[in-house]
Amino acid sequence: MTIDLLLFYAFAAMAIGSALLLVNIRNTARALFLLFIVLFAMAGLYLFALADFIAITQILVYVGGVLILLIFAFMLSNKELLHDLQSVSHRFITIPRWQALIISGAFLSVMLYSVISWSQTMPEWIESAQMAGTVISPSDNNIQALGFRFMTQYVLPFEIISIFLMMALIGAAHLSRKEQHT
Amino acid sequence: MADLIVHIVVPIAIFTFIAAFTLFAVYAERKIAGFVQDRLGPMETGKYGLVQTIADILKLLQKEFITPSAADKILFSIAPVVIFGAVFVGFSVIPWAPDFIPANTHTGLFFIMAVVSIDAIGILMAGWGSNNKYALLGSVRAIAQMVSYEIPVGLSLIAAVMITQTLNLNDIAYLQGINSPENIYFMGFWDVTHIGGIFAWHIFQAPHLLVVYVIFFIASLAECNRAPFDIPEAESELIGGFHTEYGGIKFAFLFLAEYAMMFLVAILGVVLFLGAWNTPLPNIGSLRLADWTTGLGWGITWTILKSFTIVGIQMWIRWTLPRFRADQLMTLCWKVLIPLAFVCLAISGLWRIMVML
Repeated sequence: MTIDLLLFYAFAAMAIGSALLLVNIRNTARALFLLFIVLFAMAGLYLFALADFIAITQILVYVGGVLILLIFAFMLSNKELLHDLQSVSHRFITIPRWQALIISGAFLSVMLYSVISWSQTMPEWIESAQMAGTVISPSDNNIQALGFRFMTQYVLPFEIISIFLMMALIGAAHLSRKEQHT
Repeated sequence: MADLIVHIVVPIAIFTFIAAFTLFAVYAERKIAGFVQDRLGPMETGKYGLVQTIADILKLLQKEFITPSAADKILFSIAPVVIFGAVFVGFSVIPWAPDFIPANTHTGLFFIMAVVSIDAIGILMAGWGSNNKYALLGSVRAIAQMVSYEIPVGLSLIAAVMITQTLNLNDIAYLQGINSPENIYFMGFWDVTHIGGIFAWHIFQAPHLLVVYVIFFIASLAECNRAPFDIPEAESELIGGFHTEYGGIKFAFLFLAEYAMMFLVAILGVVLFLGAWNTPLPNIGSLRLADWTTGLGWGITWTILKSFTIVGIQMWIRWTLPRFRADQLMTLCWKVLIPLAFVCLAISGLWRIMVML
């Protein structure tokens, strides 16, 4: 067993283990810090898919931004409300959660289907890419290729996303403004 | 197998360096403080107090583990590891000499920005886990400050990267000296590719990069919570901020993280703006000073010398300037540094298109 494979399984186990713990833990503060481990382990898994840019963005955006926002929201929220959240039923499956059961069942079947169908034959698009030689290797400069794509082929989605972010920024600035007392 | 040994030896070497640097830097800091405040600083232990910091660390290591009874035990004990780990991982992509770099990746700079932001989670963990009002207030202040000042740091780094056109720190270092694969122009008009030295550094390649470096330096001071931006610690109001409850080896780790962070931002500034491992001595005619002082040993020497100078300036500023008020801190960030950084970003783009092509 090579070191890479060992690391891959370590990251995967970390992600799955802490995700399971995260949904079962009763202490909300610890749950948020467990989310950090989940996101971090996911970033590690992205690295194995040769998506180094995605992995680093995941850490930068989710860990450095979204997670801190979540923790702040947790700290600023009402104590009574949190108490209600923490004192839900102990049982794993309850009647109010039947929607969750359907969703998780659907996801499980999708994953099982893909595992079964992919373990027998390689998908056609992977084989054709290998034939054509359009596969990336770990030493390729992925980030440069990504930059070129963003500025040429995918320039419209890229610009739309930047306008969305701009709108969010202006909205945030407007909301946090002091009320005018007239 | 040899690969594996390298992967183990390099982190240990970096850790040893950080620990030794911290011991040295704490001594230097106290001596500088003494000089600024017109006193002697540590003088009792050893000649000129030289072994004072070793005595301090021995004392810290022997201390009992104390966890406050109301604290969240797990978060409280993990936090110092997370904080130190975040800073420590940042050292993995820093070049020390030509091609002497632990991990030569294409995303080096971006990686540092990302892992340093994990530091904030660690601080929040420490503040929340301590279950102490002062610690929590200190960590909330620290996060507000770090999140705000990440923007000018990021923008100033982007302004520099637009000139270099790469995120690989090894390549960025190469672009600032006599080994550069591209032509270098001092302020955009004087070809210094074969002259090298101080003229080829990034801050002199374009006039606005000097301003960018000043923005980066100020914002990085705030990122590592150093005076005049030490509002999170604020001994006089918050009795130490997020590390109020920490003692013994856990406190030693927090301290190590603080000094490692200082060194990390100093060396990052050196790599991006101050020529990395390139010599400050230019070639003058047949006097090939730059050729003679480039190489592995020289590279490490220059990197460390330049970084220590920057760390020295950080300490000098800490003991010279008073602490900012919280609103002044945010005003400086959002109304001065960020607009200035945006202007520099625009100039960088124009400079790349109009002057460098």
